[in-house]
Amino acid sequence: MKKFKIIFAMLALGAFLFTACDKDDDHNQDEQELITTVKLTFTEVGGGSTTFTVKDLDGDGGNPPVADEIKLKANTAYTIGVAFLDESKAGHAHDLTEEVKTEADEHLVCFSTTGGLSAPVIGDQDGNGKPLGLESAITTGEAATGNLKVSLKHLPNKSATDPCATGETDVEVTFPVTVE
Amino acid sequence: MNRINCVFVALWGLLPLLASAQKDCHATLFGTVTEAETGEPVPFAEVFVVQTGQGAVTDDKGRFAFTELCEGPLTVTCDHLGCSHLSKEIYLVGEMRLAFSLEHSSTNLAEITVHAKALVLPSSQAERSLSGSKLDAAKGQTMGDLLKNLPGVTTLNTGSGIAKPVIRGMHSNRVLMLNNGVRQEGQQWGTDHAPEIDPYIADKVSVVYGANSVRYGADAMGGVVVVEPRALRSEPGMGGEVNLAAFGNGRVGVASAMLDGNSKLKTQHSNLAYRLQGTIKRGGDVRTPGYFLENTGVKEINYSAAIGLQRERWTSEVFFSQFFTDIGIFRGAHIGNLTDLQNAIERGRPLEDGAFSYDLNRPLQRVAHYLLKAKTTIKTGTSGKLSLQYARQFNRRGEFDAHKRFGTLPTELEEPQMLFEITTHTLDMAWEHKSWRHFTGSIGGQVLAQRNTTDRGGLIPDFDSQTAGIFWIERWRKHPFPVELEAGARYDVRRMNIGNRGNEPIDKQLDFNNLSGTFGSILKIGDHFETRLHLGSAWRSPGVNELYSDGVHHGSASYEKGREDLIPERAITTNLTFDYDNQRDFSTNFSFYRNTVRDFIFLEPQANPVLTIRGAFPSFAYQQTDARLNGLDWTAEWKALKMLAFSSSASILRAWNKKADDWLVLMPADRFRFGLSYLPKAKNDSQTPFAKLSMEHVLEQTRVPVGQDFAPPPGAFTLFNFEAGTSFAIGGNGQHNDTARPVGPGQTLFLILSVQNIFNTAYRDYLNRLRYFSDEAGRNVSVRLKYSF
Repeated sequence: MKKFKIIFAMLALGAFLFTACDKDDDHNQDEQELITTVKLTFTEVGGGSTTFTVKDLDGDGGNPPVADEIKLKANTAYTIGVAFLDESKAGHAHDLTEEVKTEADEHLVCFSTTGGLSAPVIGDQDGNGKPLGLESAITTGEAATGNLKVSLKHLPNKSATDPCATGETDVEVTFPVTVE
Repeated sequence: MNRINCVFVALWGLLPLLASAQKDCHATLFGTVTEAETGEPVPFAEVFVVQTGQGAVTDDKGRFAFTELCEGPLTVTCDHLGCSHLSKEIYLVGEMRLAFSLEHSSTNLAEITVHAKALVLPSSQAERSLSGSKLDAAKGQTMGDLLKNLPGVTTLNTGSGIAKPVIRGMHSNRVLMLNNGVRQEGQQWGTDHAPEIDPYIADKVSVVYGANSVRYGADAMGGVVVVEPRALRSEPGMGGEVNLAAFGNGRVGVASAMLDGNSKLKTQHSNLAYRLQGTIKRGGDVRTPGYFLENTGVKEINYSAAIGLQRERWTSEVFFSQFFTDIGIFRGAHIGNLTDLQNAIERGRPLEDGAFSYDLNRPLQRVAHYLLKAKTTIKTGTSGKLSLQYARQFNRRGEFDAHKRFGTLPTELEEPQMLFEITTHTLDMAWEHKSWRHFTGSIGGQVLAQRNTTDRGGLIPDFDSQTAGIFWIERWRKHPFPVELEAGARYDVRRMNIGNRGNEPIDKQLDFNNLSGTFGSILKIGDHFETRLHLGSAWRSPGVNELYSDGVHHGSASYEKGREDLIPERAITTNLTFDYDNQRDFSTNFSFYRNTVRDFIFLEPQANPVLTIRGAFPSFAYQQTDARLNGLDWTAEWKALKMLAFSSSASILRAWNKKADDWLVLMPADRFRFGLSYLPKAKNDSQTPFAKLSMEHVLEQTRVPVGQDFAPPPGAFTLFNFEAGTSFAIGGNGQHNDTARPVGPGQTLFLILSVQNIFNTAYRDYLNRLRYFSDEAGRNVSVRLKYSF
């Protein structure tokens, strides 16, 4: 057994020498842009505005995203503005909405609702006259509760019957909604 | 075979053997005398060994044998009525087979051919290989698809361009690949990382089934793929070959050329041999029966060079190869979250039919693999030979995502989202001793040092690792005693140092060690029947992805989490093989196996999905269980008529998760193959025409754990394939032999036409990771041309 140990000591030394010859590659960690925050701004037509957010500051895994509850007045018309932010670096919030706007024809914001809430109607268009979704409008009905799902599609087929079932999803968040 | 070793061990362990094995007189010489024209055995021929005065008379099957001969130069003669005296000089080593072929032509009584070759001991383990025209007929495809021709081998695919071999249900880190005697080290852990080996470099491709760490080292859990290039030329001269292949589906073109030579140097008894080889491959979008798959083209450029110095006492060889490939990944399979995947499954096919294009865009893999190897073999007196091998490998894998999340993509493919670089040094040393008291064997060791960096993406952490192992295998064989025995043991140690994952430091040191053993026996009953029993063990330390991955796996829309406290897996395979060959018209092979893996590492589905800003992802965590893989592989060939032969093969597997009391996920379904070959008699010997119609039937995989997949396994399918070919001699006396290489001067042309999926059947394979998105490739007509000179 002792002989084995000596042999292994020698082998391990050999292995170490091999490794030691290698240069330590410099790390070029590519900082990818990340959406951590989806911000909805509801503006009452002829009135004030309120913002609601879903945030997942620690990225995938770890803590789940935290969503604000959207509170709206019954039988009221609102416009909705959607914004996407990178807030992963404290104090350096980066607004990615402009980039979505620049590549408007490659993006689409989709909405879907549950619980008898009316669905927002997209108001803006990309360069080809197709919907974009950064700006939309909603008119609430009677008091109700439900959910509003907001997703951002990349490279959707906007000519498809259901464009929201195409493309890759960059964002998909759900807000609880109360109309009172 | 790879003998892996260390000089200290060899010297320490075998000095006493060296001393006592000075003169080896246990060599065996046996063979046959046949008539050249008919191949009929020649009984009552007299065979003499001149030096010893021993003589033998061939039996009714034309056989003769001499045992207990001393190794060294011998002159063997053969006499028979109607033939002149034949004589052959050989250098007897270990066990050799000698074949005298008498020509009874009326015009030339004296013309004979004699072949002598050292006998390669058959493995006691189950092993199948592909060489000669069967290998030629499969080249041009990926290495994985080529290996699929062997029973028990399937592939784990990502679309049509990426195929990983699956041996009896095991793949990735559980299958070891030996490329030219060197352990292939890339990013094997990835299910979408195909082996980086040019199929055209191979002269023979073998699969050794079952666990065997003793001979091959860690990771050989399910089996070993051995890729052997043609040996450097041993006789002076020059030769080469040119291969051209064209495939209709994907409009793929492949060109490959090889040149080899050998020249005598002025220095006495030394030869210089060399070989140059290169391959270029280009393909475009693959077509399924209903639509094109956008961005499924491929680009590949490989080359290798080898140079060797051969002297009487030693040979040295330096080998260098480079492999470059760009593989497009089907654009329609790129998804952002689970909803996208569900949409794709619901749609059942890609959004658009697409059109053919050679363009390669994101998503794409760009892989480079470099191998440098130096090997020296020294004869240690008459007792054996010592081999020493050093190899350095470097593998760079870039993965280009479909899009940057924001900002315009660079038009050039220059910035991968993920970049892995791994450098591996291996040092192998083995001392192989010749027959000594009927024992042959080898003893040796291996050292491996590796450094892996993940420059982008941070999917797995950086690490370096060192592995060292020693082994000893002995085999007992006493011709003509019908039983052979083999046993061996190996001890390995492995250390891993884990660095950063992305920018997050892990800084852990992990130590593993393992003792493995092997035992094999071969029993021959008569001339036609052989049975082999093999017990092998293997181990594998957990991979870095299994230990530390933590994030969304985009290809599979799932969140994967590693476990730091995983312990090594240990496998024990029992394999029982029956071989029957009546050497006339029927042969069959049955191989039963049971592979039990303790602490089998697998992805276990978790109860709660992981919520992210991109939606919910099903969550999986690496877990350990005990697994049992039982199965059967069989092949049979029956030459029913002079020109008609039937063949059949099947692979059946049952993979069970013992702790969960359920099936294991992602295991190949049972498959059956039937073939009908037409082998017309050629006008002359140099032509070997053949035509073969084959059918492959794959069952639906019904043995899956419930509720762990996004979609149920696809249904059964049946495919029909056709293949026809022939060879021609051009000038000279080009003779055609097993490897389609001409003997002596002359040139051969070998032409193969094949059609895969004749009826353009639309089907999906359970083991294709893109089966959620699209069908498999449709009909593919191909032409292959091989010219050897």
